[in-house]
Amino acid sequence: MAASDKAELPINKPEALERIGGDESFLQELLTIYREEFEKKYAELEKAVDQKDFQTIREAGHYLKGASSNLSLPALKEAAWKMETAGASNDLQAAREVLHSLKTEYRRLQEFLKSGG
Amino acid sequence: MGRNKKRDLKRATGNSFRKSSGQILVAEDDRVTLSLLERKLGEWGYEVLKARDGRLAWEMLKKSELRIAILDWMMPGFKGPELCRQLRQLKKPHYTYLILLTSRDSAGDLIEGLKAGADDYMTKPINLMELKARLKTARRIIELEDNLIAARRRLSRLAMTDSLTGVWNRRKFLSLLNEELNRSRREGRFLGLLMMDLDNFKEINDRHGHPAGDAVLKQLAQLIRRNLRKYDRIARYGGDEFILLLPGSDLRETEAVAERLLDLIRRSRFRTGTGRAAVVSVSFGGTAVSPGPEQGVDPKSLIRTADGALYRAKRDGRDRVVVIDHEGEK
Repeated sequence: MAASDKAELPINKPEALERIGGDESFLQELLTIYREEFEKKYAELEKAVDQKDFQTIREAGHYLKGASSNLSLPALKEAAWKMETAGASNDLQAAREVLHSLKTEYRRLQEFLKSGG
Repeated sequence: MGRNKKRDLKRATGNSFRKSSGQILVAEDDRVTLSLLERKLGEWGYEVLKARDGRLAWEMLKKSELRIAILDWMMPGFKGPELCRQLRQLKKPHYTYLILLTSRDSAGDLIEGLKAGADDYMTKPINLMELKARLKTARRIIELEDNLIAARRRLSRLAMTDSLTGVWNRRKFLSLLNEELNRSRREGRFLGLLMMDLDNFKEINDRHGHPAGDAVLKQLAQLIRRNLRKYDRIARYGGDEFILLLPGSDLRETEAVAERLLDLIRRSRFRTGTGRAAVVSVSFGGTAVSPGPEQGVDPKSLIRTADGALYRAKRDGRDRVVVIDHEGEK
């Protein structure tokens, strides 16, 4: 991760809220769905990296990229995009590394949300 | 989810044309995006049908009269562009406006999507104001399409019917004759053909005026139509000449139908609009095709046979029925 990425917040909340007309509770609802989906997809990714299943790596990466982008989660979107790319280019090494940064960014998001961010 | 799937499929396939115009299909495997769209589209007054994979989306598109669909590019089952391509190949009578949704954003993808048959293309993250505006365009285009279809239906109806009497016109009759000949051959059935001509049309016109002549033709056509079986056909063949197709009728039955109509017309009084009723006399010439012959029957020669029979009816004193066996004449 570059230094500039670290300074960035895990969620661009004003942007996400603007997209859904400022409805804070709806944003929470969407984030709950995101959490469920992320955990499911992350488990799929772990297994896929284990089994060198590049198609699943690519598809799950793509899936998380879309979901992250609609919720304005820039770091997660970036990591998901890298995962998709790793899957598309059969790059197991990259996929392993991105798996790690996906988890890190996800934790950072959860902590940020817990702290009332 | 299984139940919801079924419910959405049922809602998509079991509804009327009008109702379906407010429905929108969202095919998207990502639950976050799907929830977002569902909420917003609902707020804008759309009824949202959801599909989380391409196969279910395809079932809904195929069987329904959905007018707008938002399709994700990457989905399990069919992908968005594939859905567009398949739906366009179906050539459904109504138009479905297709919006492709993708996180891809290269010009190449845009072109591929449009080539596959999409009308519009949006990238994630979805800008909702933009989506709202694009849906307005979709509705405008659907409305234009609906107006065109309605106009085309009206025109094709007009092109097939005789404007005075409301029965089929000559051109449509010739195509009906071809269809019925093929069907008779396929199903091994008889086919009767009758030509009918007024004996005293000139006299009616001279005595009561031309509007009266028109009124008589109109009533005559309706009288015959009311007294035919559902699957019989009647057309106005020329000025005061009508032609009838009687599927399943052999020569004797065709003759019997003509005799019955002749009798009915004899006993009828036709309004002329002048206060005096007109009495109408007609002649019938008929023929019939027997089932069986391997070679197809030439429709023109069939009409010629019936015309020949009509000529004999006129020559023999009018106000009568003459039938000639079509095969017997060969």
